[in-house]
Amino acid sequence: MNFFEKKNKEEYVIIVGCGRLGASLANTLSDNDGNVLIMDLSKDSFRRLSATFGGLSVVGNGTDIQTLKDAQIQNASAVIAVTNHDNTNIMIAQLARDLFHVKKVIARLYDSERESVYHDLGIDTICPAALSAKEVDKILGKDEEQVEK
Amino acid sequence: MKKTRNKEILLIGGRSKARSLASSLISQGYHVTAINDSREDCMKLAEMQGLTVYYGDGTKPYVLDEAGAGNCQIAIALTSKDEDNLVACQMCKRNFDVKKTVSLVSDPEKTEFFHQMGVDSVVCAISAVTNIIQQQAFMDDLVNIIPVGLGMVQIIEVHIPGDATVSGKKLWEIDLPKEVVVGCILRRDSALIPRGDTRINVGDTLVVIARNGQENAAIEVLTGR
Repeated sequence: MNFFEKKNKEEYVIIVGCGRLGASLANTLSDNDGNVLIMDLSKDSFRRLSATFGGLSVVGNGTDIQTLKDAQIQNASAVIAVTNHDNTNIMIAQLARDLFHVKKVIARLYDSERESVYHDLGIDTICPAALSAKEVDKILGKDEEQVEK
Repeated sequence: MKKTRNKEILLIGGRSKARSLASSLISQGYHVTAINDSREDCMKLAEMQGLTVYYGDGTKPYVLDEAGAGNCQIAIALTSKDEDNLVACQMCKRNFDVKKTVSLVSDPEKTEFFHQMGVDSVVCAISAVTNIIQQQAFMDDLVNIIPVGLGMVQIIEVHIPGDATVSGKKLWEIDLPKEVVVGCILRRDSALIPRGDTRINVGDTLVVIARNGQENAAIEVLTGR
């Protein structure tokens, strides 16, 4: 039992933005016995969470310092910023990393140009367009291989 | 102005703030470019003579590039969203080597954080306005206070009312607190730099420099209130 608690304490993930990506991450982490807190501006967004979701859901602004403190961000092992706005995600990531010294900080950025800047600043960024392009490349590459054969 | 400075200044976002700031800067001889992501605001801004206007999101590198951010010495972010202002300033600094970035911030708690993230100058409208309102509420209209040097020093404008006990006295006869200096006396249309034997008249406005914390005592001595 002790081990279990210890493990839980070590892994406390805060997700800001309960869109499709945020909700699906939260569901997965919760299913794997992770400690999760998900935050969104609108209560309606939490409908995307599965019925078995065992984490916390908080209505609040993830760029607000007090809200983040209330969510115990200083104890978080990871913060994932996946709201709909790139700049909001950037600010949350910088707050988490530079103000609260969270070890793992990930921000989703739609704009690949901005992504490269913040990647250089040491924030782990995910760019859906770049990932999709990579995946498409992979599929096309496979096709070519098959054709060659 | 002695020298014609051809400094390039970039304004990002903001409606009325961008407008009034642009007109004041242009009249001082600066080259001003405004970026705004609302077409309506752009049209309004474009009416101003001498102002270059770009329609676009000023937090995107290619928009900043097109607007000539690389030639600017100062970038001022005026949008209503703190996150947009932060990103705009960081983009200007990182991608375009803008020397000085100034950002408006609406959440007073984020002022320090913005500094920490590399924004050179952070202006919090809310705390500035609340400070002014507080001053106005607690002082009567005899006094006007301007904090300088991070608030360590206060410059105070004190009007000498008719019933003040200091009127007719010489400056050295007045028992002012230690760290307070009367820098200037505004009398009718003239300004005089006082010496110890200068007399103070009713109706004078004194410009007083005081160390923070001494200003109230000084005001009390001068106005008798």
